Amino acid sequence: MELQKFYYDNKIVKMFAYATLFWGIVGMLVGVLVAIQLVYPSFNFNFAFTTFGRVRPVHTNAIIFAFVGNGIFTGYYYSIQRLLKTSMASKWMTYTHFWGWQSIIVLAAVTLLAGYTTGKEYAELEWPIDILIAIIWVIFGWNMMWTMLKRRVKHIYVAIWFYIATFVTVAVLHIGNSIEIPWSFLKSYPVYAGVQDALVQWWYGHNAVAFFLTTPYLGLMYYFMPKAANRPVYSYKLSIVHFWALIFLYIWAGPHHLLYQSVPNWAQSLGTVFSIMLIAPSWGGMINGLLTLRGAWDKVREDPVLKFFVVAVTAYGMSTFEGPMLSLKNINAISHFTNWTVGHVHIGALGWNGFLTFGMVYWLFPRMFSTKLYSVKLANLHFWMGTLAMLFYSIPLYWAGWTEASMFKQFNDAGELVYPNFLQVVEQIMPMYMMRIFGGTLYFLGAILMVYNIAKTVKAGSFVAMEAAEAPALVKEGSMKEGEGFHRFLERKPIRFMILAIIAILIGGLVEVVPTYLIKSNIPTISSVKPYTPLELQGRDIYIKEGCYNCHSQMIRPFRSETERYGEYSKAGEYVYDHPFQWGSKRTGPDLWREGVKTSRNYKPDAWHYNHFMDPQKMNATSIMPKYSWLADYEIDINSTPAKIRVMQTLGVPYPEGYDKIANDDLKAQAEKIAAGLKEQGINVESNKQVIALIAYIQRLGTDITNSTETADNK
Amino acid sequence: MSNTDENKLPHGEPEIDELTNDRYLGGHEYDGIRELDNKLPAWWLYLFYITIIFALVYLVGYHLAEWWPLQDDEYNNELAAAAVVEKKAPVEAFDFESMAPMVAEADLAAGKETYDKICVTCHGKAGEGLVGPNFTDMYWIHGDSTNNKISIKEMYNVVINGVIEKGMISYKDQLSPVQIQQVLSFIITLQGTNPPNAKAPQGRKYDTFG
Repeated sequence: MELQKFYYDNKIVKMFAYATLFWGIVGMLVGVLVAIQLVYPSFNFNFAFTTFGRVRPVHTNAIIFAFVGNGIFTGYYYSIQRLLKTSMASKWMTYTHFWGWQSIIVLAAVTLLAGYTTGKEYAELEWPIDILIAIIWVIFGWNMMWTMLKRRVKHIYVAIWFYIATFVTVAVLHIGNSIEIPWSFLKSYPVYAGVQDALVQWWYGHNAVAFFLTTPYLGLMYYFMPKAANRPVYSYKLSIVHFWALIFLYIWAGPHHLLYQSVPNWAQSLGTVFSIMLIAPSWGGMINGLLTLRGAWDKVREDPVLKFFVVAVTAYGMSTFEGPMLSLKNINAISHFTNWTVGHVHIGALGWNGFLTFGMVYWLFPRMFSTKLYSVKLANLHFWMGTLAMLFYSIPLYWAGWTEASMFKQFNDAGELVYPNFLQVVEQIMPMYMMRIFGGTLYFLGAILMVYNIAKTVKAGSFVAMEAAEAPALVKEGSMKEGEGFHRFLERKPIRFMILAIIAILIGGLVEVVPTYLIKSNIPTISSVKPYTPLELQGRDIYIKEGCYNCHSQMIRPFRSETERYGEYSKAGEYVYDHPFQWGSKRTGPDLWREGVKTSRNYKPDAWHYNHFMDPQKMNATSIMPKYSWLADYEIDINSTPAKIRVMQTLGVPYPEGYDKIANDDLKAQAEKIAAGLKEQGINVESNKQVIALIAYIQRLGTDITNSTETADNK
Repeated sequence: MSNTDENKLPHGEPEIDELTNDRYLGGHEYDGIRELDNKLPAWWLYLFYITIIFALVYLVGYHLAEWWPLQDDEYNNELAAAAVVEKKAPVEAFDFESMAPMVAEADLAAGKETYDKICVTCHGKAGEGLVGPNFTDMYWIHGDSTNNKISIKEMYNVVINGVIEKGMISYKDQLSPVQIQQVLSFIITLQGTNPPNAKAPQGRKYDTFG
């Protein structure tokens, strides 16, 4: 058969690789900053843009979508051309993908720091950027599927199965979770509220971990691990079973982020059991990776690339065992809202994603620049620094998580909380937070070492932008042949493969989210729950803007230790007007859901809140909350009130007809009352300042059910 | 690229990997990556089956057979269990009418402990006053002005009832009477300590406690 000549485009691989290194360094540096802020609040610099609530989303988004995202595309563009023996189908799509993705990252960093956020974790970006992401993502996927149709290899390899699953699922998740109605050029409200928003958000959030941090990296592992070890993949059969089981089961596990919270019990149970069933499919990937090294373990001792891969895959195995364990109710009761979760996700991020990326980078650059790695010694040093850094990072946080849980839950014989003041716990875990800074810094320095090593390698080598290759054209084969297994058949029909993958990933989400719309008993109505006043709504948007949800939950779980500390546990019907929900996932500070209830243990007067926002350390010397003094300078954006009310009405929030026109009158009246009250306490602040709206919102939190005589049923 | 010229598999023939004695799959070769024809590891498969059985038992046990309590019942059980324990705790002797500031070291230490947990938030670490009034001067807001009297009893009533319009909540459900007596006794010892950043006097001046 006649050989066709074609070229592999290495330039796009190099560009994505440079972007990976650049954003990796940026993301890690920001990570070190937020770690420092949790110990030394002065590092918030008393400046809106540099405050933890805004910077922490920059860290998470930078690591997930910029560092890991570019890492995915680096390995993807290198491997897919070679696995399909073709260049990419469309050059403009390939490069639009690159520049589009980088501009999304820049826009994300700028808007997040400026306070434009949806308030939904890992999906913080606002609607214009959401649309841009969707477009760029479809360009990436379209180009991929088109390239498959132009391939010169009959079957698509397991790495590509994972790329296909990644493309379709991330598209579905991103679009599904980002349905929102804009009320200004850069701001919107999500169509979902309360319980539904929580279920959709964690369907997205959990599967962002699954289909952005896991499946594409499994694809990379299936290419780079056998390549680097020069060994065959352990088991093709295992690839098939664990691939389909993984993508089908993963999508159901989202509600494990909402255990013991105000979501229906049946949804929580599905989250738990599907998480447990995920252990084997996840480990299938680890086994297939590690057993591929059989016969090559001697190379692992010498080759830093394989060392990074082995630790990456082991970290993957650890995380995917720990995750299901954290989904068990009795363990989740301890771990949730504590630093345990933070430790857990960093085993995945530092170990699995970080180390696999590092190994891949050390393998790719010498090949693309036809030279040797500048220094194997430095790469080995990086490996050991990174490994130690993971231990220094995670062990203190596991310890902190246990400490927090045991202190929060401890009662004395008289039936009182032993540590009723949240700060007693914060003070206790300070040393662990400090050790975490050390671990994070060490990891960051290791990455700097890598950049140096790669820069030297690049300098010594000569880049081959277009790598020549040749292969015969693919002879088209039609329907299934005798003796050909169904899966083998599917592997030469990429479009059918993609459709089956879509079906597999849609089932779980539909089963879990749709019934909350159709079956009313899932969210029992509480008649005393009313929409927020215009001032409270404005205050709520400030709460979201400043990222308060990064440290404070609004979800009291049905445990004696929580109801004793915070007040009556949360009911599903209380959140029906919360677009978006703000339940939070971590308690760096206390829960705020009953903060406004005057009979609760946590009630504080307006004057206290004012002083606390201005200078938390004045109120509590050991508090680690940043100052929010600009809230007393900036004015409430009352011009936006009518548009906000109208969008809320569209979403079904029962403000009276025409209320948008008079809402600001109510807003001003309520604000003046609060300002007058503060004046009595000797605090002079104008009623049009943001702090007034935020106080109004805080004092509203959790109060609606105390105005009612009916008993809310949360079954 | 150095890997493109790697040893090619003669398609279709079973071939054995020398290092592991495993069989290669014919025709499975992608950019030099080959695949072995190994079965699913038995332990892995059993692990998968066990987790599926776990899932079924879990769903049946919680939702059909109702062997185990769901979260609301679990919460009620927890409260009931706590109520039993709390009842066993001896009721401390307390008489409002004869209440006087305590002087025993242990009581004052217990009072300070309560103060540091709760009162400090609004009244300051040294009682200097923040949002709440200063405890170190002789000015009091809630004294009995008709009888020109401020005593631990008036203070006790403030703690029990709260002054919600000023932001002071009721502590009647959080602190036992003896605990309140202890913390008030501690607060009384702060008189005349002149801490830094003391808040300006509020209320009226009383010359003595009693």
